[in-house]
Amino acid sequence: MKKLGLGLCLTTMMVFTSVAMAAEQPQKKQSPPDLYEGTPDWYRAVYKDNVGLREGSGPFKDYFKPQMLDMYWQPNRHYEPMKNLDHSIFIEKERRDLCVTCHEEATPGVVRDWRSSGHKNPKSTPYLSARTAEIEKRTGRVLNEVHCFDCHADTQKKQIRMPTGEVCGECHRPQFDDFLREREMGRPNHIQSQEANTIVPWYAEAARRGYLYGMHGCDLCHSGAEKCDVCHTRHKFSAAEGRQPEACITCHMGPDHPDAESYGESKHGVIYHKEEDHYDFSRPLSEVRPGKDYRTPTCQFCHMYEKHGKYIHNPVMKGIWRMGTIPPKNLEYTSGLKDYPYGIKIIGEKIDIYSEENVAKRSYWLEVCAKCHSDRFADTYLKSLDQFMFQAHKLADEAQKIVEDLIADGYLYPSAADRDPYPLSDGIEKQLSPAFLGEPVYNAFKTLKGKFPVVGPILGVYGMFIQQQDNPSAIENEYNRLWFWYKLQGYKGTAHMQQDVSWWWGQAPMMMEMTRIQAEASRLRREGRIEKISVK
Amino acid sequence: MKPKVLLGKVGLWSATAVASAAVMLCIAPTTARALNVPTEVTELGKNTYKKYCSPCHGEEGKGDGPLARSMLPKPRDFTRGAYKFRTTPSGSLPTDEDIFRTISYGVPNSTMIPWDILTEEQRLSVIPVLKSFSEAFEVRKPDAPVDVGLEVRPTERTIAEGKKIYEEKLECWKCHGVEGRGDGPSAGEQEDDFGFPIKPFDFTTGKFKGGNSSRDVYLRFTTGLNGTPMPSFAKELSDEQRWYLTHYVMSLVKPEDKEKK
Repeated sequence: MKKLGLGLCLTTMMVFTSVAMAAEQPQKKQSPPDLYEGTPDWYRAVYKDNVGLREGSGPFKDYFKPQMLDMYWQPNRHYEPMKNLDHSIFIEKERRDLCVTCHEEATPGVVRDWRSSGHKNPKSTPYLSARTAEIEKRTGRVLNEVHCFDCHADTQKKQIRMPTGEVCGECHRPQFDDFLREREMGRPNHIQSQEANTIVPWYAEAARRGYLYGMHGCDLCHSGAEKCDVCHTRHKFSAAEGRQPEACITCHMGPDHPDAESYGESKHGVIYHKEEDHYDFSRPLSEVRPGKDYRTPTCQFCHMYEKHGKYIHNPVMKGIWRMGTIPPKNLEYTSGLKDYPYGIKIIGEKIDIYSEENVAKRSYWLEVCAKCHSDRFADTYLKSLDQFMFQAHKLADEAQKIVEDLIADGYLYPSAADRDPYPLSDGIEKQLSPAFLGEPVYNAFKTLKGKFPVVGPILGVYGMFIQQQDNPSAIENEYNRLWFWYKLQGYKGTAHMQQDVSWWWGQAPMMMEMTRIQAEASRLRREGRIEKISVK
Repeated sequence: MKPKVLLGKVGLWSATAVASAAVMLCIAPTTARALNVPTEVTELGKNTYKKYCSPCHGEEGKGDGPLARSMLPKPRDFTRGAYKFRTTPSGSLPTDEDIFRTISYGVPNSTMIPWDILTEEQRLSVIPVLKSFSEAFEVRKPDAPVDVGLEVRPTERTIAEGKKIYEEKLECWKCHGVEGRGDGPSAGEQEDDFGFPIKPFDFTTGKFKGGNSSRDVYLRFTTGLNGTPMPSFAKELSDEQRWYLTHYVMSLVKPEDKEKK
C-alpha cells in the first residue's frame, strides 16, 4: 500500500512537472498553412477563393467556366461537396467508424490503401514513430491514427472537403514550407502550375471556342499546384513512393520535356530499372548512401538536393536553365529575342547563366555529381550542356529572325490584318494593364486589337495550343516546334545524358525544322513577289 | 454452516443475480422492447428517407438512387417486399422489428451502415415509408415469427454433425465452398430475384449479414433469405439439425483472415 502511495505521488509529480515544462515552452505561433501565402489580394481572388464551378480561374476567369473535373484538380478554387448524400450528420457526430464501415464496401481500394499507410499506423516503425513524435510536439496533438475524418471533414462547414496541401501542411509543416519556397524561384515551378495553366490567354480562348475538354491534358499536370497526391498518391501518401522516379514521369514526359524518356534510357535510368529491387526508397534523401542505397541517382536525388548536404522538399531550387524556354542573357541575338521579355512584367527576365546565383547553383549540382563522378568530369559535362544550350538558343534566334524578317517585309500570308487576332486579345486589353504587360505591349493590344504577329518565347507558343483562322500560319508553328519541342528535347537529352534523345529528338530535328522554315520563307517571298508583279 | 459463511453465500448469490439481471438487460436485443412504429407515413419519415436512404435506395424505393450505380451489392429494391433478414418464415413479409433491426445494425459486407447515427424515432419513422413502396404490405400481413426455442449447446459433436449436413446432406459447399469461403463451384452463377449476380456468403469473414449471434445464424437457416438463392431449411432439417449447421458454419470463421481483408 505504501509502495502504491509512493508510486502515485511520484506519478503525480511527474505529471505536474511535465505540464509545467510544457507550459514553459509555449508553441511557436505559426500562421495556418496557406499555399497562396504572400500573394496579392487580386491573385488570391482569382486563384484561391472558392467559386465552385461558376467561374474559371486566373485573370481571364470570366471568359470560361471550368470543367467539372477541375474541382478535383484545384479544390481551393472549384471544389463543391457532393449533393447526392449529405454527410453533415457523420461530421457533426464525429462517427469515424462509419466512414470506414461504409467505404470499406463503397471504395474498398481507398480503405485498404489507408490501412497499409503510415497514417493508419503512425507509430509502426521506429522511424515513423520518431517523425510522428515530432509532429505531435509541433501540433500538440496525439496521433495514434490519422483518420479519414482528420483530412476530409470540414468541421466548420460540416461538409466533406477535398484535402489540399494546406490540410497536409497542418501536420507536415516543414515539407509544406519547403514546397512554398518554389515561389521564390518563379515559374516554371509546381506551386504556380495552375496559375500557368489559366493565365495564358489561349486557355480561355480555346474554352470559348469550344475546346475546353481538349485541355484535359493541361489540367491534369497543372493540378500539381494544390495537391500533394500528385507525387504521393492517395491514400497511401507514401514518402518512399514520392522518392521513386516513377512519381515524376506521368507529367515529366513527352515533346516539351522528355524527362522520363531521357532519364529512363540513360545509363542512370537503365541501371535503376535493372537494379530497382536493390534501391532503398525508405531512406530519406539526405540519408541515402550513393553506391549502396542507390547505385545511380533518381530525379529526386539530384533535383531535390538544395546545397551543402541539405535536401529540400521541392525540386526547383537549383534550376539554372529552368525548362529551357527562357533565353540566356549571355548571347548576342539578331532577332527580336534581344528585347525579350519585351517589357512584359509577368514573364521572367532572360537568364544570366554566369550570375553569382547561378554559379553558386552549379557548384551545388557538382556537390551531387561528385558523390560518384570526379569534379572535373561533372563540371566538364555540365559546361558542355551550357554550350549545347547556347548553340540551341542561337539556332532558335536565327529561325526567329527568318520569321520576323518575313513578317517585316510583308510576306506573311495571310497577313496579320487579314486573319484572326491573337488569342483573347479583347480579354487581354480588358483584364490586364500596363502594370502586367508593360506600356508597349499593352498599347499594341489596345490599338491593334491583337491584329499583329507574336513570334517566339513565351507568348508565341500559343500556336501549339490553339488554331484560329490562319493564325498561326505554318511557318510560325514550324518555328514553335523548333524552339519549344526540339530545343527542349535536345536540352533534356543532353542534361540527362541520353545521347539519342539529345541528337535524334533534339539537334537533328531542330536542323530539319530549320530547313522547313527556310523553305517556307523562300516560298512565301517568291509567291509574294510573283503576286506583286502580276498585280502591277 | 456458520452464519457468517451463510451470509457471505447469500451475498454472493444476490450479487450474481443482480449482475445477471444487469447483463440480461444490456444484452437483451433491442427488438425485445415494444417499438413504437408509426402506422402511417409521417413527414419525419419522408424527410429521413429522402435525406439518408434515397441516395442509395432511390426516391421510390426501387434501389436506384444516384449512388446505386457503382455499388455492389446493389441497394435493396423495396418494391417487391422481399426482405432478406427476417424472423418470419420463408416467403413472408418481415415484421417491423425485423426492418428496424436491419436499419439499426446495418448489413455487414455492404454499404448499408448501422444507422444508429439517427435517433430511434427517425429510424422507426422510416419503416412505414419502406412498406409504402410495396403493395405486398397492403394485401398481406407478415406471418408470426418462427419459434427459435432453446439453443442446442455447441460441442464437437454438434459441429461434426453440422459438417456432415454442410458437406453431404445439403451440399452447401457447392455455393459456399468447401472451407466456407463463398467460392464453391456454383458460386459464380448465383443471381438474386432482381437479376443481379450475388456472391454466396464467405463464412470465414465472421461478419454475418443478419447478425453474429448463433440465434441470428439459426434464423437464416430457418427463414431463408427472401429474394436470394438462399432457401429456408425449415422443412429439410429438424430444429436440432439447424443448430448443428449453425455451429458448423460459425466454426468456419477465421479471425486472422478477417484482418487480412
